[in-house]
Amino acid sequence: MKRKIGVYVCECGPNIAEKVDIDKVIEAISSDKDVAVIKKFKLLCSADGKKFLEEEIKKQDLTHLVIAACSPKDHEKTFMEVSEKAGLNPYLFQLANIREQCAWITEDKDEATKKAIRLIRAAIGRVRYHSSLEKKEIDSNPDVLVIGGGIAGIEASLQLARPNRKVYLVEKAPELGGLVTNFEKNFLSMKPLSEIINGKIEEINTNENIKVFTNSEVDEAVGFFGNFEIKVKRTDAEDEPVQFDVGAVVIAIGSTLFDSKKLPEYGYGTLNNVITSLEFEKMNKSGKISLKNGKPPKSVAIIHCVGRKEKGYCSEICCMYSIKFAKYLTDKIPSVKVSNLYSDLCIPGKTNQKLYEQAKGKNVNFIRFSDAEITKSKDQLSVKYKDENGSKTNLIVDMVILAPAVEPAVDASKIAEITGIYQGDEGFFEEEHEKINPISTSTEGIYIVGCAQGPKNISETLVQSEAAAGKILSSLVPGRKIEPEVKTSEISEALCIGCKTCLSICSYGAITFDESKKISVVNEVICRGCGNCVAACPSGAASIKHFKFKQLYQEIREAIK
Amino acid sequence: MSKLKGAIVAAKPSVEKTIIGMLEKSMKKGVFDAVIIPMRAPSGDSFAYVLVKDKSLLKDATPLPPTMFVQGAKAVSSVTRLGKGKIKIAAVMRPCEVRATVELAKLGQANLENMTIISMDCPGVLPSSDFLKYPEKNIKLFNEAAKKLDDKMMRPLCQICDKSSMVSGDLHIGTLGAKKDTFFLISNSTKGDDAANKLGINLKDNIDSWQTKVKTFSDEKKKKRKKAHKELKAKVGGIDNLVETFSHCINCHNCMRVCPVCICRLCYFDSDKVKHSAEDYLERAESKGSIRFLPDTTLFQMGRMMHMSISCVSCGACEDACSMSIPVGQIFSMIADETQALFDYVSGKNLDEPIPLVAYKEEELLEVEDSDD
Repeated sequence: MKRKIGVYVCECGPNIAEKVDIDKVIEAISSDKDVAVIKKFKLLCSADGKKFLEEEIKKQDLTHLVIAACSPKDHEKTFMEVSEKAGLNPYLFQLANIREQCAWITEDKDEATKKAIRLIRAAIGRVRYHSSLEKKEIDSNPDVLVIGGGIAGIEASLQLARPNRKVYLVEKAPELGGLVTNFEKNFLSMKPLSEIINGKIEEINTNENIKVFTNSEVDEAVGFFGNFEIKVKRTDAEDEPVQFDVGAVVIAIGSTLFDSKKLPEYGYGTLNNVITSLEFEKMNKSGKISLKNGKPPKSVAIIHCVGRKEKGYCSEICCMYSIKFAKYLTDKIPSVKVSNLYSDLCIPGKTNQKLYEQAKGKNVNFIRFSDAEITKSKDQLSVKYKDENGSKTNLIVDMVILAPAVEPAVDASKIAEITGIYQGDEGFFEEEHEKINPISTSTEGIYIVGCAQGPKNISETLVQSEAAAGKILSSLVPGRKIEPEVKTSEISEALCIGCKTCLSICSYGAITFDESKKISVVNEVICRGCGNCVAACPSGAASIKHFKFKQLYQEIREAIK
Repeated sequence: MSKLKGAIVAAKPSVEKTIIGMLEKSMKKGVFDAVIIPMRAPSGDSFAYVLVKDKSLLKDATPLPPTMFVQGAKAVSSVTRLGKGKIKIAAVMRPCEVRATVELAKLGQANLENMTIISMDCPGVLPSSDFLKYPEKNIKLFNEAAKKLDDKMMRPLCQICDKSSMVSGDLHIGTLGAKKDTFFLISNSTKGDDAANKLGINLKDNIDSWQTKVKTFSDEKKKKRKKAHKELKAKVGGIDNLVETFSHCINCHNCMRVCPVCICRLCYFDSDKVKHSAEDYLERAESKGSIRFLPDTTLFQMGRMMHMSISCVSCGACEDACSMSIPVGQIFSMIADETQALFDYVSGKNLDEPIPLVAYKEEELLEVEDSDD
């Protein structure tokens, strides 16, 4: 077939016309091989320009199209759409950037004109070897993977499960519920929690649109919004991983507590009756607050901000649950004395202050402290600290409750690696934008909710779960089509030597290894066409559509001729 | 090196014979089902790697032959590229061959799971062309030189090899620093421990004298290597000198074919991508005035340097195979030392250390990044 390449130069108003002698460009290129027509136009991206192009492509019966205009970032898509509308495969088009890379970077019209000619010739050289590529459309998958079966994951799952949308809920522990199952009551309302949690778990278990995996963890998650391929494996058995596809992922892996043993001055792990907040919650829930000797404590110190300095952030929830602890204690042991030692009291919100005011009283006091050290004092504990004025004080108590900082979950880095999302400096998952996109991540279709994103109380967590569900429900509508990347990588079976270099280099997990043939294989639906494998392949077996050797070679050749 | 364990073994009547005896015993006891080992060809004038299944044939083996026609890593790769196989194999090779084997395993071209690799202190090998002139005489000369650690007649790369006692396989035969009529059997892995154990060898002897001697020897060689590379760089450095050096190249690509770590199924420079039209060549001739044929000989070497200098073990197989006497191995060893140092990598040293290309670190090669941001 004889090539008929149409070349159209955009004046871009004065942007290009002022710096490039377009008539000279046309004169130089008009007799080049395969150039059927070359014309200029005032503004090709305008409605008139697009109409002109469409008519030209049809009228001139073009086989290939070159447009010399702006950066591909601006209007490559525009002109591809025009080509398609005119019946020309959009990949038989090449855009030469003679604005940003030419007109805008020099005052020298003569030089700019020469460079424009080279850039257009490079585009012609390249487009000559372009092939038609066909767009594919696949149905997006409306199902959702929720990682983490705590309150955040439970809520997200319940919000998302619909007759036309399956939810896969993966929990590492043997049971759903997470941390909150240890809490007797909720801060603020002081309402019993068990009933609510158990109710929700019951709802999950009876919802046929939710598939629960306990004792399980996500082993692999590759793909993109609308099309993730997931593998889940059991933690307690060597079973083959279960595979399924989803369209979105909600990460709700929660948090853990700072290890108080790292601060030996608090005596945790070495002194009796020094316990963490979580241990106290469990003790309280079991129904009996008692010392090692079985007796109820007469005096308790709650030490806030354990590890705050080390972690470098405020964990938000400790002050509030410490007030809750004071209430647990005074409700159950009427004569008990509770001292809250804090370095900064953080009780924001429209109603929290009230509970603080109520709690503060003759048996519950709040002391600003620094430099605390806990030692044994006969059968009791001695808490030595500096008060607000710097004077040293010694407080003798029966029990010390430490409120350690909230830390990222142990599995956070593993999940980050599997899903390809980022962790911030503190190790919590990084949101796309702290303020305007707080539950989205840098990967479209992967959301973070609850303490996985940072320390949070239960209501804030639920709000995030609902928000993530809302985002997914509104964007991942069943029946929505998605277009996988067309310019994907290919690995030649004849050339691949099976060194597996590409496997570890692919950022999208799009390459697998065929053990029987000993070669790498690209999953075209997952591949995003980044070209990493092409660059890394030592055998030249990997190539990428639309960036073929010949296309690039001819482009470079013309540019530097 | 600290984890190495060793035993002092009596070498009667010779080191070679003792090694062979141990291999025979291992096969008899089922420690190994087969052995890959060099053997003298019936014609007498060459040595080749052989996969020995019948242990009675081991008596003709030559664990330390005077030449290296085929790099041992290629033999191991041939046997195990498609998988570990069902039988346990011992492979006896020189340290540079072991290192190439390790690189191939990392590149998926060898499977060492069922393989026990045995190396030995290496005195070097004779250039193949020298050896072939008078094989019988050269075998004698080699054995004498090997005893005296005289490297003058060895491959130029052997003369500057600082890793001739590097242990990166499972077992190693150490002759340096050993008392008369003994050698050290050194284990570097649980596989090595296991094999020694089954042979009734207790790895509890002191190997300090070997380690000290190896260090002195390798330090000396390092100095020699540095000096040689410096002189070479003055001769071949820069594009003009490089083009001049490779101007004798006849494009036979032998260097690539014998290279143990050149693994591409089809070399780019043998592919259609370097077949251009007459117009293309005319255009190139036009731009430069003329163009030499065969073209791209320097580009071929530079491409190879980019591809495999990270895995190059400086074995000298390429130089040995060059019919035009281009010091290609010495050039590659120089480039390899520099590229490997960039990534703090020693090819073939450790099977668990990934090849730098697949081990991405955010903070590396900062010196080549834009200093503006």
